Amino acid sequence: MNGWNGKILEIDLTKQTHKESPLDIEMAKQFIGGRGLGARLLWDLVGPDVDPLSPENVLIFTNGPLTATGYQTSNRFSVTTKSPLTGTVLDANSGGYWGMQFKKTGYDVLIVRGKAEKPVWIEIKNSEVTFHDASELWGMRVFALTEKLGQNNNKRNVLCIGPAGENLSRIAAIMNDRERAAARGGPGAVMGSKNLKAIVVEGSTRPEIMDKERYKFLMYETKKLLAASPLTSQALPEFGTVVLMNIMNNIGALATRNHQQTQFEGAEAISGEELTEKYLVKNQSCWACPIGCTRISKTEKVEGEGPEFESTWAFGAQCGIDDLPAIIEVNALCNDLGLDTISAGSTIACAMELSEKGYLDSDLRFGRADQLAPTVEAMAYRRDIGTELADGSLRLATKYGHPELSMTAKGMEMPAYDPRGLQGQGLLYATSNRGGCHMRGNMIGLEVLGLPKLIDRFQVQGKSAFVILNQNSNAAIDSLVICKFTNMGVADEYFARVLGAVTGIPYATGELIKVGERVWNLERLYNNREGFTSKNDSLPPRLLTEAPTDGPSKGWVSQLEPMLKEYYRTRGWDENGVPTPKKLAELGLENLL
Amino acid sequence: MPTVKLFANLRKVAGTKEVSVTGASVGAVVSELVKQYPALVANLLEHSPDALSGNGQICPHVIITINGHPTDDVNAPVTESDVVSIFPPMAGG
Repeated sequence: MNGWNGKILEIDLTKQTHKESPLDIEMAKQFIGGRGLGARLLWDLVGPDVDPLSPENVLIFTNGPLTATGYQTSNRFSVTTKSPLTGTVLDANSGGYWGMQFKKTGYDVLIVRGKAEKPVWIEIKNSEVTFHDASELWGMRVFALTEKLGQNNNKRNVLCIGPAGENLSRIAAIMNDRERAAARGGPGAVMGSKNLKAIVVEGSTRPEIMDKERYKFLMYETKKLLAASPLTSQALPEFGTVVLMNIMNNIGALATRNHQQTQFEGAEAISGEELTEKYLVKNQSCWACPIGCTRISKTEKVEGEGPEFESTWAFGAQCGIDDLPAIIEVNALCNDLGLDTISAGSTIACAMELSEKGYLDSDLRFGRADQLAPTVEAMAYRRDIGTELADGSLRLATKYGHPELSMTAKGMEMPAYDPRGLQGQGLLYATSNRGGCHMRGNMIGLEVLGLPKLIDRFQVQGKSAFVILNQNSNAAIDSLVICKFTNMGVADEYFARVLGAVTGIPYATGELIKVGERVWNLERLYNNREGFTSKNDSLPPRLLTEAPTDGPSKGWVSQLEPMLKEYYRTRGWDENGVPTPKKLAELGLENLL
Repeated sequence: MPTVKLFANLRKVAGTKEVSVTGASVGAVVSELVKQYPALVANLLEHSPDALSGNGQICPHVIITINGHPTDDVNAPVTESDVVSIFPPMAGG
């Protein structure tokens, strides 16, 4: 077998046993790996009767056929589960080194079931699996634990949860390689519910490549393409993702103070320019990545990775805070505690609004940078006010009688881009299978950055086709699994050629995107089986009814309803948002129902 | 005169964040800007400094907004009170 290792490792924590099983190659051809393969396995393993935090839920770690080959950004892995935050299908993926090392153990998939009686950590050295007592590690934070378990970037890699995951925060992340995160949707809570503190991998297997000469040439071409693109050779390495702060503010699409405004007067103070000038130490890369978008930043108190744009926004504009050192420090704290920064920041913002309006008895207030770190600590340990914030903004706002103040889609906190100034992005959030997320597709390229060509951000008619293309493309890239930033310099179809060279299986023009469409429809079927309907394809009422009173998005609300109707039709779904038998047959999914 | 705001590495290249320049269209404003700050030519223009008056064009992926509204039209009108913001190619998320 080329590309894939052809093996699945299954671990039962309840029985403390493990076994190997073969990877179904037909399934692998259809879903490739990563997110796609994870969703397909989850379909069989976790039904609607399973509580996400029960032993019956599973964690499915997947890599892809390109992983660890050395192809640019082939370092990532995906973790799939039923989300304890949203109840939907969830996959979160992460870069760094762990995914590459996991592939080198000789497995394509790791399925973790059950629940250990006492805390454990697992060590996988090639095919040797060892269960270790983690009683003394339980309670440790991520940075110290990662070091203690012997993190060594190219040889031995640590994936773990922090206190937030142990305490079953529904916005807890799974961390790897110290500061990389599979963050969204609460996978860290699922790991905590299983009493699983860490998974350490060491491997020496390199995947076989079918056509080595073609593969080498494609790698050479990819290198040239990434070097020629101003995005991957200049924009991302020089300023990182947080460079988006000023432009999103400039166009009036930077959600501010829990989406009460669309421009933040303090944006410049928390911008990429400010970070680069005053706090940047250097930039850094994941394994086999020539782009190097990661920032290493430093304040008087911390030095570490980040913050990324979304994290800076979540604790910055969304909380009305323009104190960049405080944001850098709370970002590092989230990494150490194992919390999703987007959900954590937006949940604090929700609590700030609830408090200012008198619905929640707390002293949380917009603009109070001094409240960030103590509140995040309280969330991870479920102390005081943090007890309620630990499960995200929707549960918090619902408890206090104002669910409309939760800035979520399907219960997941949305990122920075305000849908009132970006109509396509709003449709994308509403239809995202894991909830409000910019990584299931991103319309910012088309609606703001002119990538590949600028389109009217306020236009409604015809937007759905762009959104669908974007969603399908992202699902395909997530299934490879490689970094989406490579797609800024290298077209989707190019990846199909690489996939063909590695696996020996020809992927015809359009077939890779078809895989993405298949994955998207499968995820939709999963959510439908869980009871989600078209009613869940929604946005917070504020975004549908409250137009900004000033700035470039003045007077606009999200025109979701007409876009949604068009979206269902263009997807080949019925008017209730259910994939039709014809569409399922076209995608080879007809046998699932 | 319209106000031009510069972002990211354009600030470093020009040595300023903000400048006032003459011009009644996006193309005219950018042409005037690069006359005042020749170092910006490589960042903003595909060809020579006066290319916008001929068949030249602004570099792909350079982002220009007028009062916060993105445009890729070099003929888009600009008035005296407008703010033209110019960003180099950028990505992220």
